[in-house]
Amino acid sequence: RTDMEETEFDDILDDWFIESLKTYKDLHVYQLEHPTQVIEWTSGKTVCVAGFTSSKNEILELRLPLKLFADENKGLCAERDFKVVHGGFTDAPVRFSNCLNLQVWDLGGDDSDVIRRTGSVDGSRGVSEGGSRIAARLSSQPQVLHGAESAGVRLTQLTSGQTVYTLETDSADPLSSLHFVSDAVFLAGCSNGKVYIADTRTSAAPQLSPPPPSSGESVLWWTDASAGPSCLDPSSCRIVRLSSCGQTVISDLRNPGGAVSRAQLDVQTRRCNADDVRVSWAPALDDCIAVSGFSGAVQIYSSSVWTTELQEAQPLFEHRGHAVSSQSDDGVPVFVTSHVWHPERPRTLLSAASDGSVHVWDWVDQSAAGC
Amino acid sequence: MTEDGSIIEGQTQSYTHPSTNWTPSACLWCHFITSNNAALSTPLFYVGQESSGLPIVHHSKYVCDLPPNHRFPMGKFSRVLHFLIKDQVITEKQVWVPEIASIDLLSCVHTEEYLSNFINGKINEQEQRRTGFPWSEGIVRRCRYETGGTVLAAEVALQRGMACSTAGGTHHAFPSYGSGYCLLNDLAVAAKYLISSPKRKVLIVDLDVHQGDGTAFIFKDESCVFTFSVHCGKNFPLRKQQSDLDISVEDGLEDKEYLSTVEAHLPWVLETFRPDLVLYDAGVDPHWEDELGRLSLTDQGLYQRDLYVMKTVVSRGVPVAAVIGGGYSRDIDKLAIRHSIVHRAATQVWRECGM
Repeated sequence: RTDMEETEFDDILDDWFIESLKTYKDLHVYQLEHPTQVIEWTSGKTVCVAGFTSSKNEILELRLPLKLFADENKGLCAERDFKVVHGGFTDAPVRFSNCLNLQVWDLGGDDSDVIRRTGSVDGSRGVSEGGSRIAARLSSQPQVLHGAESAGVRLTQLTSGQTVYTLETDSADPLSSLHFVSDAVFLAGCSNGKVYIADTRTSAAPQLSPPPPSSGESVLWWTDASAGPSCLDPSSCRIVRLSSCGQTVISDLRNPGGAVSRAQLDVQTRRCNADDVRVSWAPALDDCIAVSGFSGAVQIYSSSVWTTELQEAQPLFEHRGHAVSSQSDDGVPVFVTSHVWHPERPRTLLSAASDGSVHVWDWVDQSAAGC
Repeated sequence: MTEDGSIIEGQTQSYTHPSTNWTPSACLWCHFITSNNAALSTPLFYVGQESSGLPIVHHSKYVCDLPPNHRFPMGKFSRVLHFLIKDQVITEKQVWVPEIASIDLLSCVHTEEYLSNFINGKINEQEQRRTGFPWSEGIVRRCRYETGGTVLAAEVALQRGMACSTAGGTHHAFPSYGSGYCLLNDLAVAAKYLISSPKRKVLIVDLDVHQGDGTAFIFKDESCVFTFSVHCGKNFPLRKQQSDLDISVEDGLEDKEYLSTVEAHLPWVLETFRPDLVLYDAGVDPHWEDELGRLSLTDQGLYQRDLYVMKTVVSRGVPVAAVIGGGYSRDIDKLAIRHSIVHRAATQVWRECGM
């Protein structure tokens, strides 16, 4: 990297910094030693991240900068930085795929800063390329829904290791995600675009929704399900399906085959793996969807303006921080590996990228309508 | 001069003491001033009843309207004056009102093209983005008043020994473009204006948490101006210029170490450079509560810093003009009180030095 390149890079960062003063309410960055594909909230202020190399990986629990949460009284809070609260190591890559044995981790109490593995659950029976997906059950009994394919999805009780439910399907479709939409109802999103909806309380066959019509073979699909205003009412749940060419379909859980609305998203088509892309409903912002993994940006869309006609949609907001601040030495552009919405703060997200950066950001909605 | 004080090009600048009501009742220093370069629209200033207090420079037009929710704390300038008067640090009689900086005056630092585009609203989108401000006539006006204010503070300091503006410190402005909330470089204009005739040396002490990159660039080949900046390395701008003396400090630096850093350099710079005037940028963004700054100074720390700088300068018989510099907070009143620390410290020095 020459002096001139360094100067130009600094200039770009300076430009972006000034712009960010207007486009973000808050923005904090952190650098991990190794990139993560996993960001999981462990409390309103802490997240777990973990490496995914084939050898030793660090699992960290990070506390977000307290200044982010100070809101009205930002002045009272000095803490600008992320802080490592707990840490531990694992030999396996942690990315909820290529993880044939699910490992259970104890984050340690206040008196320990170590994360220890306390147990494991025997993973999917069928070995597939994708590996297991998991979803934690929203109930008092610690249970985990897991599987790599539709035919192998099981609900396992963590303490006993017992299987309390198995999804019965005809075909073994590789999964891209599992989501609980209520205490007992879950959705299995397959990477071929099929969606299964099942109730763990019954032995009835799951409801199957075929993939949305799309052009081209080898199109991958990703899914997310929103909980309605009340988690217990599946009827207010919506499903979003996103394809690797950017086609997006929103359906009602009650009628998963139909389409409430559609859009063609402007995604840079790099060659994506099944693990790269995330699509997620905002938990605290009506109709908003976040998309990442196609590039170095996280895009926020407002689906409220979408219709049943497939039309191009523009993002409401684009977080380009990872792309702007990444110094890619090997010429491979940085891409976002994961993102999550804050469970309560409407416009706060965390995102992680392939260069190890982790950002937490609270974006400013500059549109008149929308989220 | 028109009624609202704006300058019609070609006329001389004038500085009006509020008690005179636009009619000069005495003109004490015009002889001294007219010996300056007349081509630069020589200022005359009119002094009415002499206030024996520390001169404070302020203009209500330091403030302009900004789009709602704009990040820049525009309201702070008038609040600084408000709190100084409310807390009885100063009285209204101490306030000097500047005139708007003329294009002639600004052109000693800024290019003709930039000034023309700036005044006529021809700054393109990308350039506007880099400044952080959408262009408006209001922003042009307020920047010109602010620059006029810093120039007046420098002039008054030369006469009285000390002066403080309630604005100023727009050190990221370069000759042909603005940056980081700075559209015109007030410190550079004041310094440039004062080094020509009579020949003077000006030291710019910039303790804003961000490097004074524009000022450093403007004076890099000027031996009569010494630029000294203490700033946090990781703060904007990442692309640094080269001041005559740059001290880049680490994140989180606190009162004691920060003050030691200033103490380690200011005396020898004064001793070796021997300026005729010091322009002091007393930015409060090194404060731990600052939203953008990455240092950890307290109110006390800022006060001790300002006291130290001004005392050190004044006790060597060198006049000092202070500007408030940068500070970023969504609580405007808290921020304004923080900015008023320099005026309070200056008042203390004014008293102690029997000025």
